[in-house]
Amino acid sequence: MRAGAWLVLGGAVAGFLGVLGLHRPASSSALAGGTVTQGPGTQGPGTQGPGTQGPGTQGPGPTASPGRTTTAAGPPGTVTGPVVNYGYGELATRVAISGSRITGVSVPVIRVAEQFSQELADRAIPVLRHEVLAAQSAHIQAVSGATYTSEAYAQSVQAALDKAHFK
Amino acid sequence: MNQDGLVTHAEPVMGTVVSFALHPGELPGPDLRTALQAACAVLQDADRVFSTWDPGSPLSLLRRGAPGSAPPPVMAEVEAACRRARDASGGWFDPWAMPGGYDPTGLVKGWAVGKALRTLDQAGIPAALVNGGGDLAAFGMPGPGRCWRAGIRHPWRASGLAAVIEVHGAVATSASYERGAHLVDPRTGRPGCRAASATVTGPSLAQADALATGLAVGGDAALEVIGGLAGYQAYLIRPDGTESWTPGMQFATG
Repeated sequence: MRAGAWLVLGGAVAGFLGVLGLHRPASSSALAGGTVTQGPGTQGPGTQGPGTQGPGTQGPGPTASPGRTTTAAGPPGTVTGPVVNYGYGELATRVAISGSRITGVSVPVIRVAEQFSQELADRAIPVLRHEVLAAQSAHIQAVSGATYTSEAYAQSVQAALDKAHFK
Repeated sequence: MNQDGLVTHAEPVMGTVVSFALHPGELPGPDLRTALQAACAVLQDADRVFSTWDPGSPLSLLRRGAPGSAPPPVMAEVEAACRRARDASGGWFDPWAMPGGYDPTGLVKGWAVGKALRTLDQAGIPAALVNGGGDLAAFGMPGPGRCWRAGIRHPWRASGLAAVIEVHGAVATSASYERGAHLVDPRTGRPGCRAASATVTGPSLAQADALATGLAVGGDAALEVIGGLAGYQAYLIRPDGTESWTPGMQFATG
């Protein structure tokens, strides 16, 4: 259970990086076709259990160092990831989960290099949330990626596409 | 059948799920089902022969050097395809450099899915796409004036896409984000990966599958090799998130 929760968080952190990455010329050309999308029901299951919420330390603040694996606890129904150094600074993400759906993403810990500001992070996160919650719109019939297991298939965008076809 | 008129099917096999999207055209329902069953039988047969999990599979016996029954003819077919892919990749894909001896796993799934797709073509289905757990191939057109489109999964966000490409033939992606550090660098014999995501397109899914494995291991060096192959294109996302692709890579627009 615990591992599953961290996988979800890893994805959220990377999603944030992806948002920052939109400013790269290479990325934006590859993404030019409206290629960032989201299938319904494709988020990881709500796998957080009692063990995944750290002891109540505190909210935002420069308290954890890179490589540390725990940080501030969030409200019930949320899972907070480790503080990670993502190259431009340090951040942790907190994901709110309802049932099997991610209902919100926030950044309780962020320390950025001077060219990136909290304001940028505040702008970036709603974009990420939009991506997380948006319905699929890329008009694709399949997703290519590293081979998933039979178990992982159930959570994949491909499964959502397959399901959408049975009507 | 969905709103696009496509019939879908999901077949659990080879430790993953293989997804089918078929355009039935005028083909009667029973013929469609028969064709689909034949395609699935191809996959199940390949699983039996090339399973590395089943100690009694012909591949496992071959790897152990166990005496006894002669390997089935498809074994030689796959071995020949592996040799072609090893040469084409400049050695970045090398089933003979794997720990524990010859291991064609990096090519077998693509080979089997490609074979299943040809079964559908031969049965008279006008258009089909088969996705073997992330490695896919298609023929025909899903609708008038439309071509098949595939998303490339975002390496760090399972439900996001890094890009969308038009599918003309085969698309294979290799990375370590799903099944962990399974990629072995043939030059060291140790786990090694120089890509967050490595995609190869081309006419043969067997070759694309193997080349994607080589691209993931070799990174930029392998991208250059694949760029020189006729009919094949590559799209690399490096571990730091930067990207590169060969000039002919057909990203979808709009």
